[in-house]
Amino acid sequence: MIKQNDLLVIGAGLAGLMTAYQAASRGQKVRVVAKGWGATHWHSGCIDVLGYYPVDATGPVVDLKTAVAQLIADNPKHPYALVGLDGLQAALESLQALCAEAGYPLHGSLETNWLLPSATGTFRPTCLAPETMIAGDLHQNDPMLLVGFKQMPDFYPNIVAGNLNKQGKEARYVMLNLPMLANRRFNNAVLTARMMEQADLRTELVTALKPHLGEAARIGFPAFLGLHQAMMVKDALEQALGRPVFEIPSLPPSVPGMRLHQIFKRAIEQHGSYVYDGMEALRAERENGRITAVLTEAAARPRRHRFEKYVLATGGILGGGITTNIDGEAREVVFDLPVSAPDSRLNWFRQEFMHKEGHPIYRAGLTVNEAFQPVNGHGPVYDNVYAAGTTLSHCEVIRERSFEGVALATGYKVGISI
Amino acid sequence: MRKIETELLVIGGGATGAGVVQDAALRGFKSIIVEKRDLTHGTTGRYHGLLHSGGRYVTKDPKAATECIEENIILRRIMPHCLEDTGGFFVTTPWDDPDYADLFAENCAKAGVPCEEISISQMLKEEPHLNPDITRCFRVPDGSADSFLATQCVAESARQHGAQILNYHEVLRLVRNGDKIVGAVCHDLVKDEEVTIYADLVINAAGAWAGKIAATADIEVNVRAGKGTMIAASYRIINTVVNRCKMPADGDIIVPIHTVSVIGTTDVDVPDPEKFAIEPWEVKLMLQEADKIVPGFSNMRMLRAWGGVRPLYQETKVADTRDVTRAYTLLDHETRDGVTGFITITGGKWTTYRQMAEVTVNRVCEKFGVVRPSHTHEEVLPHLFSSGHEDSRGYHFLGSRLARAETNKEYGNFICECELATREDVEKSIIEGDAKTFDDIRRDVRLGMGPCQGGFCTYRVTGMLHDLRQQPIEQTNVALRDFLQERWKGVLPILWGSQLKQQRLDELIYMSVLNADHLPGETASRLGPSMYEPGTEEDVPADAHV
Repeated sequence: MIKQNDLLVIGAGLAGLMTAYQAASRGQKVRVVAKGWGATHWHSGCIDVLGYYPVDATGPVVDLKTAVAQLIADNPKHPYALVGLDGLQAALESLQALCAEAGYPLHGSLETNWLLPSATGTFRPTCLAPETMIAGDLHQNDPMLLVGFKQMPDFYPNIVAGNLNKQGKEARYVMLNLPMLANRRFNNAVLTARMMEQADLRTELVTALKPHLGEAARIGFPAFLGLHQAMMVKDALEQALGRPVFEIPSLPPSVPGMRLHQIFKRAIEQHGSYVYDGMEALRAERENGRITAVLTEAAARPRRHRFEKYVLATGGILGGGITTNIDGEAREVVFDLPVSAPDSRLNWFRQEFMHKEGHPIYRAGLTVNEAFQPVNGHGPVYDNVYAAGTTLSHCEVIRERSFEGVALATGYKVGISI
Repeated sequence: MRKIETELLVIGGGATGAGVVQDAALRGFKSIIVEKRDLTHGTTGRYHGLLHSGGRYVTKDPKAATECIEENIILRRIMPHCLEDTGGFFVTTPWDDPDYADLFAENCAKAGVPCEEISISQMLKEEPHLNPDITRCFRVPDGSADSFLATQCVAESARQHGAQILNYHEVLRLVRNGDKIVGAVCHDLVKDEEVTIYADLVINAAGAWAGKIAATADIEVNVRAGKGTMIAASYRIINTVVNRCKMPADGDIIVPIHTVSVIGTTDVDVPDPEKFAIEPWEVKLMLQEADKIVPGFSNMRMLRAWGGVRPLYQETKVADTRDVTRAYTLLDHETRDGVTGFITITGGKWTTYRQMAEVTVNRVCEKFGVVRPSHTHEEVLPHLFSSGHEDSRGYHFLGSRLARAETNKEYGNFICECELATREDVEKSIIEGDAKTFDDIRRDVRLGMGPCQGGFCTYRVTGMLHDLRQQPIEQTNVALRDFLQERWKGVLPILWGSQLKQQRLDELIYMSVLNADHLPGETASRLGPSMYEPGTEEDVPADAHV
């Protein structure tokens, strides 16, 4: 039997997973190879589409659709311009349908941004948020109680409450000391999220929390309400506490991001395709303007992957798909595709870490044509190579707060058209 | 305006100033030390951390070499918990004059610096990453020193003997009455108010800033600032201090200290100790020279670069700052300038701080007409912030913190995983150390000094500090932003490869997830960092000291 090998996707962040999911659900045989986990394990677990525009705007984007249209008009090379507003909308709806089917609904639309409390107590604009987070929306004024745990060093409700109060929102906090957590030597969000799926920790939590509820109309927790059964945990807590509860994402690892990763992975596998973690793409073999194979290494065993088409979704500097060196050179690591970057390291940075415009080096990336093929001065570099996600140039996804939106929209577009 | 009176006022909270105030306090003088930022914020906190054996100076400055070995022996006795007994090598690489090796050994003997030649196979057995083409290797009693901790311990000893330590007190001007200095007007940066401190005697121990201080009373002190750039690489690639066996030059030493290896240094005359750049050519040169000692060094992940300014005193102008003596200078302005009540102590090295302090306070005794001997050479320094997990001889060692964590089963208690700093360490620094900024906590417990450069611990410390201080939230917010900016300052010159990726992750955390760029309040405070000047395209100068 001849194995059908349609598409190799390199990178398992949101862009790679979305590409693979779309292609697989259209009958293609897809293999995803990734060096490690993508940004899903580090980000907020929400889908930012455009939080601040222009990036130095004092307030967040309110009319999201208009702001995206404006960005496309201002910057016709931006990945959103290649996808179009309709493509962006279709990508978001596709993700929402997938997540709803998996019992983990994402709410929101291109109408406007949610304003969710961040773990520092600022108003974080985001387009789509899981149902586990939306009760925190700051368009509402209901008083909130924020809950931290003495044994969890990655969430500080005092900071959240302090800054929300400062910005006119009613919020209190409590630090709980739970014996079940105290008995353990180490607690991060992932470990406690797994424990939250068991009734005994929830019971202990509810018992400890009840005396503190007071006037609070909603209860905020660190984002740890279950890894596999988030909605069950949320419902159980709401029932026991008699109020809506919500999660606030904080330091990595990101439990809400991991849920998205799982949902994608399962859907891809249901369509007979596969996602391999821990398999780093090292280089490619080429012939007559086409890539014939990509070589990977996993557990010290080299493998050659021969596919019809290849999608690069390795995530730029953050994802490791683009590396840089002391001489001011930026390099795409798998196919050695041309990367646009400021020519001198002196021009890579600004003096202020959180500069509103961002650091020019982070705009380094690939330039693609309308079919998402990386191009040089003459046209596509290879006939059968495509790129998606934040490896693309002409955007500053962190300053724009478009990180997940760019990944999903470009991944979607490549996945449906390839 | 507040007024304080004291017998002695010491200006400058580096190793020298802290040493002077400790020595004076031990001899029963009522003393105050003022420092414009945190202790060690100046040159003391910005050197490579070498405990000199004296080997580096045996040929060029034998007097300094002898001072070094004398003090090396004393410091090992009084502050072993601040030192790592790494030992040191002087190695002849293919780029070094092979004839210097014998001269070096001869001069070590003359200066009293213990020195033993070892075989190359023995050298490689101990340090397998060293260049196998090295032809000679001499062992000397170099070590590495935690200059933050050491100075804090010296200051704590002073405090225990009645001295007052006033950090974040910047001297605006000396108070001069005719031909007498009677005190200094300071700016309390925390309270944002002026304080005048009157003293019978003012001791200027401001290092590279000593000239600026003296100038406020129209006294000319020619202290030049010799900038040295250093780079910390992410791994302890060697466990022995390794020097090139040649006359001191740029990039000729790698010091293993705590979790990193530091390559140093350059030597560039700068007009102002506060305004200089970490030049790209310096970074390049350092890495190129490091590769000669440890091949492949430049491919490691660089964590940070920084510049310290050596105080180089000279009455007459010289061309090359490295030719200025490293031995210290004591200026009695009564005999030199006809101004009483004022002494300047400057120059020197970290290793000789105690001797400089002793000589200074001897002069104080003469001036006051009293006979009180110094005791600092026998005063074992208190432990601070440290683990109590030293080796059998009392030295700090790389595994100290891990040993403590394993003994106390504190795996879930790390606030800074990179440096294994625990919740208790940080609380102690905030409460007992009276930390004013996150950067003060860093100097106390090494917070944020590892590979993620504050990526995870900054948020955690924000929560802890706000809880312990119960201060207005804007004050906490700006402290967070000051620290992120402070970390950014030192990574900028070495951002490429893995560390650039790390910084982008820190942006993802602090902007995308935590949205900390939209915190209420000021974006920077007066306690925040001052940035290095931007670098230039300049190439390695033809007259670089290599």
